[in-house]
Amino acid sequence: MNFTTLVPLIGIGDIVVGLSLGSRLFLIAVGLSLIFGVLGVLNFAHGALYMLGAYFALAVTTSVVDNFWLAVVIGALAVGVVGALIEVATIRPLYERAEGELDQLIVTFGFVLIIHELVRFIWGSQPYSMDTPALFDFSVTVGASTFSAYRILVIGLAALVMLSLWLFITRTYFGSLVRGTSSDREMASMLGVDVPRLYTGVFFLGSVLAGLGGALSAPLQSTSPALGDQVIIDAFIIVVIGGLGSMTGAFVGAMIIGLLQSIGPQFIAAGHIAIPFLAMVLVLLFRPEGLFGGIGE
Amino acid sequence: MSGDEDGTRTGLAAFGSAAVTDGWTRERISLLVAIGLVAMAFAPSFQVYLFTEFLIIALFALGFNLLYGYTGLLSFGHGLFFAGGSYGVAIVLRDLGPVIADVVGSGIAPVVTFALAMVIAVMIVVVVAIPVGWLSVRLEEIYFALITLAFGMLGFSFILQNPGGITNGTDGILVLLGSVEIGGMDVRLGDRQLYYFLTLGIVASATYTIWRIVNSPFGAVCKAIRESPDRAAALGIDVTHHRWMTFILSALFVGIAGALMAGLASVASPYHAHWTNSATAVVATVIGGATFFAGPIVGAFIYLYVRWGISRFPALEAHWELFFGALLIAVVLYFKIGAVGGLLLLRERLFGAETSTDGGGETE
Amino acid sequence: MEKDQRKIENKNNQRSPIRASSERNSRVGRRRFLQSAGVVGAVALAGCADDDEDVVRLGATYIFSGFASLYGDEAERGFEMAEEEINENGGINGQELEIIQRDTEGDADSAIRQMNSLVEEDGVHGLFGLDSSGVAQAIAPQAEDIGMPYMVTHAATPFLTSPVGEHDNSVGNDYVFRNCNSLAQDMFGAARVAEELDADEWATIGPDYAFGYETWDYFRDFCEGLGVDAEFTEEQYPALETSDFSPYISAILGAEPDGVITPLWGADLTTFVSQADDAGWFDAIDYTLFSVGMGTDLPAGGPLPGGQHASTRYSPFTPETDENETFREAYYDEYDTLPTYNAEGAYRAVYMYKEAIESTGSTDADDLVDAFNGMEHSGPVGDYRLEERTNQAVVPAIWGVVSYDDGWESNVLDPVEVYEAGPEELESALEGSDLPTGV
Repeated sequence: MNFTTLVPLIGIGDIVVGLSLGSRLFLIAVGLSLIFGVLGVLNFAHGALYMLGAYFALAVTTSVVDNFWLAVVIGALAVGVVGALIEVATIRPLYERAEGELDQLIVTFGFVLIIHELVRFIWGSQPYSMDTPALFDFSVTVGASTFSAYRILVIGLAALVMLSLWLFITRTYFGSLVRGTSSDREMASMLGVDVPRLYTGVFFLGSVLAGLGGALSAPLQSTSPALGDQVIIDAFIIVVIGGLGSMTGAFVGAMIIGLLQSIGPQFIAAGHIAIPFLAMVLVLLFRPEGLFGGIGE
Repeated sequence: MSGDEDGTRTGLAAFGSAAVTDGWTRERISLLVAIGLVAMAFAPSFQVYLFTEFLIIALFALGFNLLYGYTGLLSFGHGLFFAGGSYGVAIVLRDLGPVIADVVGSGIAPVVTFALAMVIAVMIVVVVAIPVGWLSVRLEEIYFALITLAFGMLGFSFILQNPGGITNGTDGILVLLGSVEIGGMDVRLGDRQLYYFLTLGIVASATYTIWRIVNSPFGAVCKAIRESPDRAAALGIDVTHHRWMTFILSALFVGIAGALMAGLASVASPYHAHWTNSATAVVATVIGGATFFAGPIVGAFIYLYVRWGISRFPALEAHWELFFGALLIAVVLYFKIGAVGGLLLLRERLFGAETSTDGGGETE
Repeated sequence: MEKDQRKIENKNNQRSPIRASSERNSRVGRRRFLQSAGVVGAVALAGCADDDEDVVRLGATYIFSGFASLYGDEAERGFEMAEEEINENGGINGQELEIIQRDTEGDADSAIRQMNSLVEEDGVHGLFGLDSSGVAQAIAPQAEDIGMPYMVTHAATPFLTSPVGEHDNSVGNDYVFRNCNSLAQDMFGAARVAEELDADEWATIGPDYAFGYETWDYFRDFCEGLGVDAEFTEEQYPALETSDFSPYISAILGAEPDGVITPLWGADLTTFVSQADDAGWFDAIDYTLFSVGMGTDLPAGGPLPGGQHASTRYSPFTPETDENETFREAYYDEYDTLPTYNAEGAYRAVYMYKEAIESTGSTDADDLVDAFNGMEHSGPVGDYRLEERTNQAVVPAIWGVVSYDDGWESNVLDPVEVYEAGPEELESALEGSDLPTGV
């Protein structure tokens, strides 16, 4: 196959799909990256929180109020509360421990199992699907490709989140505390920052973002207890490629992986699952701090 | 109430000190352990199976901890070497089994084939570990964990891809050990007891070897690196090179565990390379206590027997992940230095004896 | 929205039988607790195979955790119902029936450990279950090794019932049976459907593991064997747990086939259908054949679009026998949903053990194996026999058109077509192919 026959195969549709997938991945990856950047915790349960966001949104639309937007907001905030509780009860006691990072990793891994099983107990393990919000429930056709308008919305929302986060971290007082604490915890503590509360706040924020990603995914993808399992691995790859702790990196990394997953299979029928891992190895070897380094960058 | 407790404690302490002064020497304890291990072969058949699996997981975790506990590098990709061992054995048995049978005659062929398969499997693992280790040890801490995770998952993708039909894709490869004729008797190589003794022999030798390594000058350097890589470097130690060598050794022992697992479960499965299998070694080590030589062994024991214990209760088995997850969290939160640390602390409380470092194998 | 609400409420109702069962087992549980406490205390002294003469014990091995746990949960409903019915009606030969469930975790190492534990510690008289074909293929030689009958109720690979030696991948032996239809029988039906349809170019989108590839291999060879005028143009194999099928969907759409066969299942199927719908799939492609769509999705009011073709290994409405109707009604009363084939397979496996034990008057493994070999049996699925050569149930392939039924609040197959899929039919249709029939 020569180059000229290859190029026309990438349609607008593939790019939209890749970006919308990247947007969902960004929402989970940026929270993961933020938590790692500030707290130094690699949160294994972040995929499970993402999955929980989808279930909460579903539960709200089916049994509280049949309004998609309200469901997304309530779902994301509820996930934030779950995340904050996890942090306060089980992760906070481990900050002072020598080699506590591994302990934190294992505690969050324990929560993956627990959240899985609780969801299975409450909602069962059959997949649920959620209706696309009526306002965006139509297809767009560009050239040869057709895609749901909802995908455009998801891309727009992710960009909005990226922008707000950036403003929040760089332009607000809370943001300056976050940046200060991430670079030197002890100094921040001495300057009177209530570090434990700040940590809980960041964990809450990261969890809200994961929950938001899950809730927004519900109309695009089926919701089942294993929803977060694959996503968390993708998120790990993204934060490595983008740089642990970097928001811009999470955004760019997510879009790269999203596009790779949407365009990749057309060129490499076999082996496309290996490519993200190969990219991860290469980035770690040649630029371990990621393509973008540091929080707020 | 507290008086009773004190009484019990004094009693136990007296018994403990008496036992020590009465010559409960290490030799005697070792002898008892050896007798126990041999007697284990005559336990109910399933217990033999479970114990064999425990030995294999223990070696897996010990191999992993050679790197983690002794040089401070946390690998999330040792499943790659476990799979290297299991697939190495499976592929040699499948593809070379008939050839070897032609050469040595069918009588003892299965033994020769299995021995050869083990050797080749471990060689494959080492060949893979040399470049993977060389690249990985350039990184530290979380970055090392992530690059090993990526290498492990690359191996997993490779197995699923089934290049040239060699790994048989998602189904994995069946492992049939066959049987030999000894004095007119048909002896199955996969026989529970026989395989237990085989595993016991190999795991015990491997454990002894690891123990010798960590107590050798090489091991001392490892510990120095773990305590402070910078200071070690200042003393003229080539930290990276040393870590690389440890990485290869660590992979080798994990490969042996994988090879043994293929024979026990009779299958080399792609799951062996998946990061969740790598996590088994990490979890076992953390439960047991990474800073103690015996930590991974005790951790593997707890890991496997708790899972088994849960399976014995229908109500728990239906939701085992819930209990297992809660247990993991509880162990990490409440046993700061792992189960072995907890046991030593208990001994100290009970016997009032110093938690001495007479274990020799402890890394502190 | 109302429908969804009911779904969630139903789920709560469905929980009650599970709770009841653990209460029922609590006596046993306590005894086991003491035993295992002892075992944990002194590992070497363990050993608690129960030798109670008055209990028939069966081991149920399914996936109860992770991505595919929906299959285990469905099966559990089936075998619990059978257990309850049998014990309310005097048990098996006057003995109480006890079913012990274990999680295979969908992984061979765990499945083999659980099987050994069930046989040696719980002293089960027989085993049934298995969802994953890969795990079933690893288990088969082990079942023969320990000499225990294994009634497979879900794993569908034809190699499982193809006697060892017939093909490189064959693992069939005297101890492994299958009571539901296999992938080969299902694909024979698919080819018969394709024969009737006005479609020349065919494509597939299947999960990236053996099951996806075997589906396509058998479909093509059956089409060729039956002389279907078909061309095979495009194949796509997304990994399990793919979150966006869109690229695979566009690849298929780009090839412009007339018909597509897809063995996607579970959460992947739900995701695929909604994304395919968005991409205009059902306007562009005339016929989509869902080979396992009925497994978990239809009774839950699942996503399959009306008018498409789907198969099932068991239909609650075919055959129209009293036995099937009784089962369907009882199941609906208990769980507020139609039974899936997974539930029916597990339910029927228990009754097959009952019949085998009662006919031989023994719970000895070899007697059971003899009784199963060539057994003629009747259940909700209809009358069938286990083929002597392969131990595979000679059950028909069932294909139909998906349509929503207001009465049952569920998708059903209507109209539905039943294709006899015995050894003769499959052998002649596979002539010239190197694939085994497994029947």
